Amino acid sequence: MKKKKITLFSIINFIISTAIILVMIFPIYWMVVSSLMSQSELLSNVPKLVPSSLHFENYVNVFKRTNMFKYTLNSCIMTFGVLAIQLVVGLLAAYGFSQGKFKGKKFFYYIILGLMMVPGQVTFIPEYIMIAKWGWVNTFTGLIVPQGLSVFFIFLMRNAFMNVDKDIIEAGRMDGLGRFGLIFHVFIPMTRTIFTSTSLILFINSWNNYFWPKIMTTTEDIRVLTIGIAYLKQTYAGDIVANYNEIMAGALIASLPIIILFFAFQKYMFENKYI
Amino acid sequence: MPRKFKEQFKDFLFVVPALAYAIIFAYYPLVKLFDLSFTNWNLLRDSYKYVGTKNYEWLFYGTGAKYIRNSIQVTVIYAVAETAITIIGGMLLALLLKKTSKYFKVLKAFAFLPRYISISTAGVVFLWMLNTNSGILNRIIMQYGGEKIDWLGKPGTALLSIIMLAGWKNVGYGMMIYLSAMPNIPREYYEAAAIDGATNTKSFFKITLPLLAPTTYFLFITSLLASLKAFQSIDIMTQGGPIRSTEVYVYLIYHMSMEQFRVDRASAAAVVFFVALLLLTIVLQTISKKVSKNSVL
Repeated sequence: MKKKKITLFSIINFIISTAIILVMIFPIYWMVVSSLMSQSELLSNVPKLVPSSLHFENYVNVFKRTNMFKYTLNSCIMTFGVLAIQLVVGLLAAYGFSQGKFKGKKFFYYIILGLMMVPGQVTFIPEYIMIAKWGWVNTFTGLIVPQGLSVFFIFLMRNAFMNVDKDIIEAGRMDGLGRFGLIFHVFIPMTRTIFTSTSLILFINSWNNYFWPKIMTTTEDIRVLTIGIAYLKQTYAGDIVANYNEIMAGALIASLPIIILFFAFQKYMFENKYI
Repeated sequence: MPRKFKEQFKDFLFVVPALAYAIIFAYYPLVKLFDLSFTNWNLLRDSYKYVGTKNYEWLFYGTGAKYIRNSIQVTVIYAVAETAITIIGGMLLALLLKKTSKYFKVLKAFAFLPRYISISTAGVVFLWMLNTNSGILNRIIMQYGGEKIDWLGKPGTALLSIIMLAGWKNVGYGMMIYLSAMPNIPREYYEAAAIDGATNTKSFFKITLPLLAPTTYFLFITSLLASLKAFQSIDIMTQGGPIRSTEVYVYLIYHMSMEQFRVDRASAAAVVFFVALLLLTIVLQTISKKVSKNSVL
């Protein structure tokens, strides 16, 4: 009797869960499907959930007719540039704040943590004016350099570095490792999991960043994917609706690296609480 | 002594880049923001002068007051809705999907994925799905004999559309946070409750919910503070319209400064935003220390 009740419950659970997740992935499914439909099918009166034939030429067209290629390249340059600076600045700070011995360490650490109270949404006006004065608007320097600090990364890596076994650090010192040697040969390997997952989040955040590129860029030459995609419906010649299949192809390309990373590093993604 | 000092200085050098960043790109602009809010600088002009509290007067008592009030209202509705969906929806999803079989792992991954899809991709996809004439949502509604809805053209449904996008993106995050906290509840509690004859519903309200209170509070703080800073989805989907019905606070600041070039007024609005966020965070953190011993930083 009891057993039967449990099975009935799990069947209902199974059905409801599946139904909810199907609704949740529908936008992604619909993006993929729309990107493969022909225009006439896309706009047909009876909604079709499965395309009758696959039109991969939409992907070719969106590259041919828009600046998608340039956006992708710009996104890559920005993301890797930002990631490189954030990692270097962040690792140095994490080491200094966890292992360093100097006066006022705690005070300086609070200065860094205090940045969480000063979001970019508050300071972007004077920041923009300052950067405009330096002539950095519409340049990669302006796009990349101001984003080079991640408090989130410093906070998590400092905590991770604090937990590294003292004996191992001492052993590293005995082997003649200096400060940089310790960071690369002891601290990063010892905190591999957290280092990988936080770096992954840094990458995703930069790739998906919208606010700063929106403030910093006004020309096509320097636009990144997030901005370019949002503009497609305006910059794309022709009817606003008619080429939604090609716009969906562009939207999918913009998110493809993230989707691939998400499934490749699923294990890490589910472990990180501070995302 | 000099040698010790030298070593200290070398250690200090490691944190210098981060400190330089903090000062140049955050604290200095913050001070400058207060300064700007007392000027009459319009970006179209080169010179400006100090005008005292005129911008604040405009903001609180002048024509700006109705924009600010509208904006605060929109932001609060949006933030409360997003936070509620993240917490309630996240909890329900966690309860539904807590099984660890392979199938359920896949379902969990799909529930979590939207959080990482960029808002611009998600926004463009939602724009297409909500399109009045050809969007899939209206076509389904019409299939069942309903009237098509101008989702982004009417004040009420425009804000609802923005909230739907936010809910879709964040509900999986709520689920994930709850799922990582649930295994920490000792199994014995449930066994004891079952022996006492408690139903599943009862043990949920008497055991699960109270023991997850610190987790709920963590989600409440993080979602609320993040959603108050919303900008992107509004910029992509509605640009604050129609009739300012989706003009959240950050969008208002952006609109005043980058589109109307009234840096002076926008700075005053940003100062108000900064102070409000700061006070809210202090209050939430103080309560947080009472709710759970580990404060949420």
